[in-house]
Amino acid sequence: MSAHVVYLEQLPSLFEKWKEKFKLFVPQKKGDYYLLQEYERGQEICFDYDVIYNPIKSFLFPSYETLLDFDLKTYASKPVVDAEPQILFGIHPYDIKAINQLDQLMEMGSVDVNYRARRDKTVIMGLEPLRVAKTAFWSFMDAEKVDFGFDLFWTKIGPSAFVVEVGSVLGEELLFVNGKVDVATAAEKEVARRKHQEIVKKAKMQNVLKFPNTDIPKVMAKSFNSYVWIEKSRKCLSCGSCNFICPTCYCFDIQDEVDDLLKKGKRYRTWDGCMLRSFASIAGGHNFRKQVFERYRHRYMRKGRYIYDLLGELGCVGCGRCIQSCPARIANPLEIFNFLWEDVSYEK
Amino acid sequence: MSKPKVAFFDFAGCEGDQLQIANLEERLLDIASHLEIVNFREVKTEQADNYDIAFIEGSITRPEDEKRLKKIRKQAKMLIAMGACATIGGINCLKNFLGKQEYTSLVYGPYARHYSTYATRPVRAVVPVDGEIHGCPIDKEEFVLVVKSLLLGKIYIPPDYPVCVECKKAGNICQLEQGRLCLGMITRAGCKATCISAGSVCWGCRGPVPGANLDAARQVIDEHGFSWLEAEDRFRLYLGYFLRLQGWVYEQETT
Ligand code: SF4
Ligand code: SF4
Ligand code: SF4
Ligand code: SF4
Repeated sequence: MSAHVVYLEQLPSLFEKWKEKFKLFVPQKKGDYYLLQEYERGQEICFDYDVIYNPIKSFLFPSYETLLDFDLKTYASKPVVDAEPQILFGIHPYDIKAINQLDQLMEMGSVDVNYRARRDKTVIMGLEPLRVAKTAFWSFMDAEKVDFGFDLFWTKIGPSAFVVEVGSVLGEELLFVNGKVDVATAAEKEVARRKHQEIVKKAKMQNVLKFPNTDIPKVMAKSFNSYVWIEKSRKCLSCGSCNFICPTCYCFDIQDEVDDLLKKGKRYRTWDGCMLRSFASIAGGHNFRKQVFERYRHRYMRKGRYIYDLLGELGCVGCGRCIQSCPARIANPLEIFNFLWEDVSYEK
Repeated sequence: MSKPKVAFFDFAGCEGDQLQIANLEERLLDIASHLEIVNFREVKTEQADNYDIAFIEGSITRPEDEKRLKKIRKQAKMLIAMGACATIGGINCLKNFLGKQEYTSLVYGPYARHYSTYATRPVRAVVPVDGEIHGCPIDKEEFVLVVKSLLLGKIYIPPDYPVCVECKKAGNICQLEQGRLCLGMITRAGCKATCISAGSVCWGCRGPVPGANLDAARQVIDEHGFSWLEAEDRFRLYLGYFLRLQGWVYEQETT
């Protein structure tokens, strides 16, 4: 699709216009961290953030979400689907890849109506990263670039100019709300291309995956009985941080709640995670993964193998959030993949 | 169905949990409309001895307490421990780390020998309990949830995962990551990570999560730059009773 040029000084008026119809979330600095928060007039936008602390999924699949209302007297119930139009501005490619993956997973079997409703009302505006998080390894996970999944994609090509690639009709409409903007010249597009190459090169210099990622599923298949699971999980607190912070983890639990008069109630869902102790418990007290090491292994198997078998792509986009947030510093897919690869290659 | 009669009793504690319930204000009227409250010091003066559900606040620290609690257990169809002192022994367990002579003379000075007192225990260590509402103080929403579950004939099961879960769901930036000593990773959730959301850290007031990996937590805390002693001091504040127990006993008690 087409590419245009937008100048920094045009942004505030674009944002004001968008805010008339959408909730607008932009990257903001908070202490040493970055969050995606609602835009207020005059607010500074952090274009050079390294990673948004919380996973973007929370905007499409919130940690608590009501699914239906019911009446305890009449047993009547009605679905609740509440989704507001929103723009997520400044999303890095690896996070867009994670959303693309959620889009597929949430449609498998039967469509998840609540997710779909939010997704349909969400505009994604991508942003070329200018910095790489210390723990990130997305450039090794086919997540440094996305061809779809955004309405607009922004690349900062200078102190006050952006090349904006159009990804959808709606994206183009939003870009032109204040009148048409200039088409990017060949030279400007070339600068954007070089910016991309530069950041990928930088990303490839750190946290290196030592083998082609296409071999990860094979390596994982051979590693089910590796001692690494027991060794590493000795320090695991079963806290689930690595699940909740992950942009591609999508498990949830469903619970009911009634009001104080015991007349009406609601059914809601809330995030669940495979690292939690009773995640795989079922009626009768049986638990499929009672041991910590079984749960620890399962998470890596999901990321490196099971999701691949399901969708043909890996379940990890290399954002590095789990590495950062694990209190025990044992949640590290890159380290595990490399270690197992060496282990498996040595055995041959 | 006649309304279940409810009574509140306190032992060694500060009655802060009854205060939390009184803080429900108008909502208390809705909840109370399903119950008959026969004994509640924070809002009522007259008391009765005929009740179905007993809420117990405070820990058991004296032989007299033990007798009184056993009597309540006999009368009540349901007995629910409420608040950290009652569910996990709470702060009162600090004295379990001192010799008896040491703590009695610390508190009562020359009158020490006139007071009967022994090592602090939670309610469940003395009589069987039908439910527990953790926290110091309890979370009033959780109290409401427990009462509603009772009324609907369901058993309320408190979360068996750590505070980190609710902390992540709340979208907080991890305190441990920012260099503060937080016990959320070994503490039972259910408070919606309220202290962390308010800018503080978790002190462990809801007690250890079932299966809490205390060895790992000690190692993790050490790697985050705190000394063994700092970790141990923090543990003792609320986890004292369990530090004094064999890990597996607790495992069996809670699962
Ligand atoms: S597994 Fe870790 S690095 Fe991979 S996508 Fe999830 S949070 Fe990011
Ligand atoms: S974040 Fe670390 S300690 Fe917590 S469940 Fe995951 S691997 Fe275990
Ligand atoms: S701040 Fe505390 S409770 Fe929250 S994630 Fe960090 S360790 Fe867990
Ligand atoms: S965050 Fe920790 S200290 Fe605070 S209420 Fe919850 S369990 Fe208690």
